[in-house]
This record gives sequence, structure tokens and C-alpha cells, in this order.
Amino acid sequence: MTDGFALKTRGLQKHYGQRMALAGLDLSVPTGVVYGFLGPNGAGKTTTMRLLTGLIHPDAGTIEVLGRPFGRRDRRHLFDVGALIESPSFYPYLSARENLRALAAVGARTPNARIEELLELVGLRERARDKVQTYSLGMKQRLGIAAALLSDPTLLLLDEPSNGLDPAGIVAMRETLKQLAASGKTVFVSSHILGEVQQLADVLGIIAAGRLVREGPIDELLQGEGVVRVRVAVSETAAASRVLAGLVGEDAVPPTPGDDGWLSVHTEPERAAEVNRALATAGIYASGLETGSDLESLFLELTRSESTTSHEGNFAGPVGWGAAGADPGVADKPGGGAT
Amino acid sequence: MRLFRSGLRKLVRRPATFVTFGLLVGLLALIYLAVGATARQQTGDGDGGRSALLLLTFPGAYTLLLSFILGLGGLFAMIYGAAIAGSEWTWGTLKSAVARGESRSRYQLVSFASIAVMVGIGMVVAFAIGIVVAFIAAVIAQVPTEGISDGATLRTLPELLARGWLALAEACALGFAIATLARSQLAGIGVGIAVYFGEQFASIFLPDIVKYLPFNAANAVVATTSTPGGGGGQIARLDPEVALVVVAAWLIGALAVTALFTERAEISG
Repeated sequence: MTDGFALKTRGLQKHYGQRMALAGLDLSVPTGVVYGFLGPNGAGKTTTMRLLTGLIHPDAGTIEVLGRPFGRRDRRHLFDVGALIESPSFYPYLSARENLRALAAVGARTPNARIEELLELVGLRERARDKVQTYSLGMKQRLGIAAALLSDPTLLLLDEPSNGLDPAGIVAMRETLKQLAASGKTVFVSSHILGEVQQLADVLGIIAAGRLVREGPIDELLQGEGVVRVRVAVSETAAASRVLAGLVGEDAVPPTPGDDGWLSVHTEPERAAEVNRALATAGIYASGLETGSDLESLFLELTRSESTTSHEGNFAGPVGWGAAGADPGVADKPGGGAT
Repeated sequence: MRLFRSGLRKLVRRPATFVTFGLLVGLLALIYLAVGATARQQTGDGDGGRSALLLLTFPGAYTLLLSFILGLGGLFAMIYGAAIAGSEWTWGTLKSAVARGESRSRYQLVSFASIAVMVGIGMVVAFAIGIVVAFIAAVIAQVPTEGISDGATLRTLPELLARGWLALAEACALGFAIATLARSQLAGIGVGIAVYFGEQFASIFLPDIVKYLPFNAANAVVATTSTPGGGGGQIARLDPEVALVVVAAWLIGALAVTALFTERAEISG
């Protein structure tokens, strides 16, 4: 019935006045996976989310939700979809429980027991009677995730779900989403936090300037994007750079090391010991060593060319690890990468 | 029905409901008690003094009280409607409902229905409190109160209240529509107040046109000789039956605009 895809868009276009937000987006989201939807600011992620939930309508192109065409008159298809778009939206003067009850009164029918179950799941049971206006950003986000899960959706659309969550909350959310995908549901996560997506997603879609620039299973996309990160004394970063450039080639080492002592070497993770040995031989001793796949490099490579041709500002320019905020070795560090 | 019940639950919990109602009843009580305390001294002041006593003289006081509620309450109902509709956009709760597959126009119209019911309840309670306050004021002013049990007038009260409810619902729908168009609580309230006072001001220059405008028409649905509490003063007034039709037209028009705009709106934020 769903042709193996929970969500498909073809040639999706959207303009805001003269500004083009989407320029023919072709997404194919397989059923039963966590799909990471990545893109720089202004790439069209939120516009896509709004289109997928019927908040706005496309100028051209088609959307298929759970195997069925989705247009202006197909709002009932959203009964099987849960969504958290931009910031969570609630009545500030109502409690968490009352807000979920108010939400359960619209769209698909939801039993009251489901509300209690979700309050427990997101850890808000004890504060369920408090007014939402007294909640922290992270608590509102938890409630937003509960709201998205309210109708036990087959397809879950989440826009920056880890916003404001504490590390424990991020880990719990990640586990929940993975469990949902394992149970056959599809989770579509839009984010610009690469580390978070890398830990969570099975399939990636990268959007830049309103177009999909790469899509596929994350393991396939990251083949050849290995990285070894090494931390040395800040005063030794220049010398360490020279040693590593001699070992793996100048192109594989960033020309300007970060000011926190971390250096990234684009090479196979298996060469970590060799990197460490080369530094030690030169009298430079590493205080930290990490390996992983460099989603950031792939992301920057794919989005830079699109961004430079787009009218959006380009904050994804030539930055080092110290400035980018994403961590290539984050896959080895549970809970990291979502600062 | 679950959406309607949910709408009522939200309104019962909402501070704006009690603030608006409290302001209306507070002002009503204050004015009536002030009139009661000073009416006897004003009887020598000609028409002003006699009008003040009329406010407290039953059974005519019933109609004047309702007219007073329509005048002041019309403004409050409009602000209330604007506050509720505007906050749906400001807080993003309309967005959440639409993203769950709810019909946009149904959501708005059912939300309005629950507001209208709340306004109706508020009006009846305010009227009841007003009768008590008017009675106390009459006693203070030493005005005879035996007319309070006038059977003929009491029998007309349900119809009067129903007319009043329609008038307040129309004002509320207007605020609801303005805030929906403005997509903002504050803008809705601001524009609504400007429309209200603009209409009162325009009535000085264009009475024959202004009598068809929403607030003046709303005040005319209850036949009185004067309109204490604002809402028209001595300007030309529509016949109550005609006013009823005009008010219904404004109500339906405002709701149609709300529904159409919401259906076509691009929702963000």
C-alpha cells in the first residue's frame, strides 16, 4: 500500500513572494526508518515540514503520505501523522495534561489513557498538573514530543526535537524514536545538529537551497568520510598539524587548527593508532583520541556549493572543528553532539 | 461535540474569561451603586436626575439594565473574542490542530460557538447580579421596588435575553474575525477597540449609516428609550426587529470571513 515509502515528494516547489524556499524537492522516505533531514539554516527544512502537515500548500509538485496523495482536501491523512513543528505550541494557562486533552479533541480520536501513558514516557507525570507557562524550554519540548505521539502515529515528523532537552532527555528521546522505528513506524527528523542526526538516523536526506542534494542510507553516504580526532596541547597544534600532514597528506588536515587543541585528520578510523604513534615519535603526546565518520565534511561539501549559489547567507563556509559545533566522533559518545 | 466541549473547558480555565466578566460586573455594580447613592440629590437637576431614577425603577430597569450590559458588554465581548481568536495564532495552537488533521474552518467555528455560549452565560449571570445591584441601589435611592415582580415584564425577559445574547455574540464574532485577519491577539484587540469607538464617533456625523453598523445595530435589538452605558446615546436607532436581522447578518458575515480566511491562510510560527 505504501510502496515501501512512508513519505514521498516529487518536484515540490514553494515561493514566498520572490524568494524561492523549495525548488523541486524530491524526498523518498522509506517505511520503518529514522530519516534524518539535514540542511543549513534557510535551506527549506521548516518549509518542507509545513508542507507535509498541510499548514501551507505547495506552488507545484506532489506529496504522498503513507502511500496516499496528500493535498488541500486530504487533511484526514494527517490522522496517522504526528508532528512537532518549530517550537512546541500550547495554551500557557493550561497544565500539560489539559493541553494534551485539548489536543486530543482535534483530529484523530485519542483515548485518555494514552495521555497518561505519554506523560509517563516523557517524564512529565509529576508536573502534569502545573501550568505550561511555568515549564522550562526542555519541559515544553518534552510535552511537544508527547503531543506528536498522541495519536500513536504511523509517521512522525519532528522539527529539531532535541531543542532545549537536557542530555538525559536527549538520550531518552533517541531511544524512544529508535524503538518507534523498530516497531515499523517511520520517524522523520529535521535538524541541523549533525551529531544528533548521525546517532539517530538510518537514512539521510541533505537539503540545500531548496533542493535535495543527497539522500541514502547513512552508512553508504559516510563511506570514505572517516575521521580521526586528536587533542594535543594548544601550543603544539601547529607542530602536530605538520606531523599529521606529513603522515596523511596536507589535504586531510585542516590548515587552521582549532584553538581548543583538537585536530581532525580525514583518514580511515583504523589509522588512529598510527596517528598517535606519529605524534608521539615527534615528541607530541595526545591527551585525547576519537574516531568516527565525518558527516560534517560531507554536509559542508554538499551544502557549500549550493549555498554559494543561493541567496541565503552562508554560515557553512570554511570553518574548522572548533567553530562548527558538530562532533565527528560523536557516534562513539552517547549523549554528545547536541549541545 | 468533543471539540465544543474542549473549547468550553479551555475558556473556563482561561483568565481572560474571569477578567472580562469581573470588569463588566464590577463597572456595572459601581455605576448602579453610584447612581443609587446620588440619584435622590439629582432629582432637582431636570432630565439627568429623572434618567438616573429610571435606571433604578422597576420594571423598566430590567430593559435598561440589559441595554447597559449590551453597551459596555459589547465592547468587552469584542475584546474577548479577539483575545481568544488572536491567541490561537500567537500561541501556535491553531497550527497544532491543523497539523493533527483538524478542519480549519470547523475548528474556528466550533471554537466560536463555545465562546458564544460562554458569553451567553456571562450575560445572564451579569444580568442577575445587575438586578440585585439595581435593587440595592433603588433601596438606597428610596425608589419604590414593587415593580420588580411585574409579571408582564418578567415574561418578556427570556426573549430580551435571547436578543441580547445575539447582540453580544455579534460583537464577539467581530472581534474574533478581526483578530483572525490580524493573526494576533493584541492587534485584534487594538483594531476592535478602534472600530468600536470609531463607530461611536462616526454616529455624530453619519447617524443614518452608522445605525446599520454592528455595535449600534446590536444596541438597538433591545427597545429602550435611551442607552445607558454607551452605544449610541440619542442617535437614530433601528427598529428592534430590523436590528435583529442586521445583527444576524453581521454575525454570519464575520464568521464567514473568519472561516474563509482561516481556510486559505498559510500557517506559520
